[in-house]
Amino acid sequence: MTPIEITTIDAAKKGSADLLILALVEDEPLHGYEIAGRLDRGSDGTLRFTLASLYATLYRLEERELVRGRWVERAGQRRRRCYRITEKGRKALAAQREDWSRFIAALTQIAGLKPA
Amino acid sequence: MASPHDWQTEIRARAAREGVALTDGMTEEIAEHLEDLYAGAIREGCTETEAQARARAALDESAMGVLRRPAAATRSAPAFDEAAAVATSAGGRRLNMSAALRLALRQLRRHPGFAAVTILVLGLGVGASTTVFTIVDSVLLRPLPYTDPDRLVTLWDANARRGLAHQTISPVNFMDYRELPAFEGAAAWWRPTLNLIDPGLDPLRVNAVEVSGNLFDVLGVRPQLGEGFPVGGPFFVQREPMVVISDRLWRTRYGADRSIVGKPLRLNGVPHVVAGVMPPRFNYPDDIDVWQRLQWDLHFHSRAAHFMEAVVRVRKDTTIEQASVAANTLAQRLITDFPQTNRDWTVTLVPLLDEQLGYYRPALFVLVGAVLLVLIIGCLNVASLLLTRALSREREIAVRIAMGASPRQLVAQLLAEACVLSTAGAIAGVVAAFAALPALVALAPAGVPRLDEAHVDLRALMIAVAIAATTTIVFGLVPALVLLRRKTAVELRSGERGSSRGARRTYSIIVAGQVALACTLLVSSALLIRTVSKMMATPTGVDADDVVTTSIQLASSGFPISIQQFRDAGVTHQAILERIRQQPGVMSAGAATVLPFDLGWRLPFAIEGDDVPVRAEDRKIAQYHVVSDGYVESMRATIAAGRSFSRFDTPDSTPVIVVNESFATRFLAGRSAVGRRILTTTRAFATLGFNLMFPPGPLNQPSTPLAFEVVGVVRDIRDTPIGEPVEPAMYFGVQQFPFFQMMYTVRAVDSGAALRAVRAALAAITPNVPMGPVRSWRELMNARTTEPRLLMMLLTFFGATAAFLAALGVYGLFSWSVAQRTRELAIRLTLGAQPLSVGASVIRQSLGLVAIGLVVGFAIVRLSEAALTRVLFELSPHDPGSLVAAGALLLLVALGACVPPAVRALRVDPVEGLRAE
Repeated sequence: MTPIEITTIDAAKKGSADLLILALVEDEPLHGYEIAGRLDRGSDGTLRFTLASLYATLYRLEERELVRGRWVERAGQRRRRCYRITEKGRKALAAQREDWSRFIAALTQIAGLKPA
Repeated sequence: MASPHDWQTEIRARAAREGVALTDGMTEEIAEHLEDLYAGAIREGCTETEAQARARAALDESAMGVLRRPAAATRSAPAFDEAAAVATSAGGRRLNMSAALRLALRQLRRHPGFAAVTILVLGLGVGASTTVFTIVDSVLLRPLPYTDPDRLVTLWDANARRGLAHQTISPVNFMDYRELPAFEGAAAWWRPTLNLIDPGLDPLRVNAVEVSGNLFDVLGVRPQLGEGFPVGGPFFVQREPMVVISDRLWRTRYGADRSIVGKPLRLNGVPHVVAGVMPPRFNYPDDIDVWQRLQWDLHFHSRAAHFMEAVVRVRKDTTIEQASVAANTLAQRLITDFPQTNRDWTVTLVPLLDEQLGYYRPALFVLVGAVLLVLIIGCLNVASLLLTRALSREREIAVRIAMGASPRQLVAQLLAEACVLSTAGAIAGVVAAFAALPALVALAPAGVPRLDEAHVDLRALMIAVAIAATTTIVFGLVPALVLLRRKTAVELRSGERGSSRGARRTYSIIVAGQVALACTLLVSSALLIRTVSKMMATPTGVDADDVVTTSIQLASSGFPISIQQFRDAGVTHQAILERIRQQPGVMSAGAATVLPFDLGWRLPFAIEGDDVPVRAEDRKIAQYHVVSDGYVESMRATIAAGRSFSRFDTPDSTPVIVVNESFATRFLAGRSAVGRRILTTTRAFATLGFNLMFPPGPLNQPSTPLAFEVVGVVRDIRDTPIGEPVEPAMYFGVQQFPFFQMMYTVRAVDSGAALRAVRAALAAITPNVPMGPVRSWRELMNARTTEPRLLMMLLTFFGATAAFLAALGVYGLFSWSVAQRTRELAIRLTLGAQPLSVGASVIRQSLGLVAIGLVVGFAIVRLSEAALTRVLFELSPHDPGSLVAAGALLLLVALGACVPPAVRALRVDPVEGLRAE
């Protein structure tokens, strides 16, 4: 990839970080490692957070009360901090989905993008 | 499989290097993530080394800067916040003092509660101690403004048999003492009531003394204007009445007119030439505005009449002790020569400063002690605050050492913080001192010598600031220096602190010390409270709170004063009283030569029918008082037998007296007092009053005894100061034994009506005669307890402050202790201990600490009993009621303070507690 391409994807990643994490925790609470793993597997490695940026995003979402983190102790496991979406988060997720859908539709139409 | 690697330490170090503050939770969370990466790599078949490398790579690729959080995080900021702040603001390893000061200010802003409490406590200690030291310096320590003031003493008669230690002196005795070789000079005075009447100005009752011509020579002061009494002039001058006036009177009444010297002032109708004006603030002996030169020979009076005051200058080559021995040797000779009047009378010499200070000297010493205790408690409080703060920074200091900070940088930083705190505390203290001093001066009773000259003493301020600053710096620096040396004992990972046990012991000692000192203060204030209430509860024999009192001095003229003038005075007083009673709102009115608590004249008498004692010294003595009809009613005293005076007891009727119960019990016991006849030879009190029932003749002519019939017995009206037993007293009727000056007592619907009634009566009967100061009886009673009440107020304030600080100390200690012992408490709970028992153990420990403090506090009170005894009234410093009250209050306060930490202790979640580290 060229530097420009890298920059394009990086910019898109930054803007979509919140959307991605909210979508991942929409159905069930997950801890950071699980979130990182599902993101990596679900995007075939295209989308990856560094350790710091993953947790920075999680903490930011928590401060905005879009997710809520709780320490959970499961039998036979070390305790983990699991993140669950809140009602406010669901609304934000819905809004972001709509925004991104419109954005991608516009890109597709104007820039002639091919669907994956 | 768990990694053997300590991820948390590595994460913290990474974050610190990048200047990022991570909470414990964040660190744990990220560490768990790395553990998961490690475990995942192991599952995939990696070796331990490879798995660690993979996890570390994830950490290395992360720019920790994105985790930089704003200050208002929901999780509590750890010690690393501060280390990070140091690292970033100081730019790494270099740290200079100005940067350290700026950082110190930021640090303290991040802990506003700690900073505010520390500054408040320092300010209170500095302000209170400066104020009190200033007052003590002004009132107690500064020399009197007279020549060689250490050689000036006051002279008092004493009679141990009668329990009299400090009595005004007999004029005739004084004239003998005056001749002692040990005395360089001696002056005497008494206190007549003088009315000043100037054309065009309101009549004014002035505070005056009639004093021997050498008073100013003895003191070594000269007038600011005029010559004053001639230097080396005669002791008394019968003709040529002369006065010297005060600067205050000169300015307020005569507009500082310099031509007043040589002009006449009319005092009680008699013109007196003004010989001089004294310097500003000179009002010796107390609040005097007019010094009238003595006009009569003190030899021509009675050795038994004790009513004069005297000041003496002791010779340069003689000590006060030697002078006292010489005076008492003379007193013994006078007893031998004049047994009938001088038996048991000795003489006391009191240094002038001590005399002027009176109650205030011991009171001020007690106050100095109290404020020192407050300062010490404040310093202990600050010490405990700084100690806990230092301990809470162990981790920060360890990290900074790990990051390469030098001890000098750390010391500089801690010093900067201590300096900021002590500077702010000192400023608060200075402000408090400047505000408190005028307020205290305003609250203080009138007549505290030299209090109005007190200004904030810079020396006292510097001393207090130095004490506070030293405490702050020592307790801010020392614990941290200890931690620096023990850096190997501190582990960044674990919360176990090797210094905890030692710190807890130090902290406990500090808190126990605060409790002990607070106990001392509370006991002192309880003792003063009980003293004041005992004084206020002293039986007076009257029920006169709302009675309005004033003095009325009728004019006399010429010398010698004619008997007709006395007769006219009696008639005039009676007319004034009748007129007062006719005014609207007046219920009763009366008059007396002196009000309760003041002494009458102690003079001999005999009982008709009893054997006359062979030796004159065996004659009975009682107090002589003169009252009008209506006095008993207006003061609501109680007639126990017979009757009081009526307006029909005139010079033309039977000579009658009323006696008090002490008189009846002591001298007429077993027989009815009413109807008995009492013999007296006292026909006059100098120019003050004359017994019209005696045959006419010169005032100082000796007389044969005259019998007065007892017509009534009154329940004891207190005729001695608080603390002395009531003495037997005889009351003569004012129409039969008139005085020019009488104290009027008026009971009306309100004080306004009483005042209007007196004014109206005076305007109608004697328009040129002014009223004296008007006071209600309650005000007069309060005035007798002003000094102990002021001391009580201050000690109570200090005691409450000290108790609050001690409670703060207890709260702080046990809060910190519970936080330190979370793991221990969690283990106990896990092992089955009941939460209540855990909480109870905290309370038990705090009560034990408080009990130790109380015991030490009581011991300190015991050591201070000499100082305390001098300010108490009929109360011992061991008064059990006060000790119990103070101890119980402190226990209660301390109990309240340790309840929140105890509740926190019993709420410890065993699981969370065990994870707390």
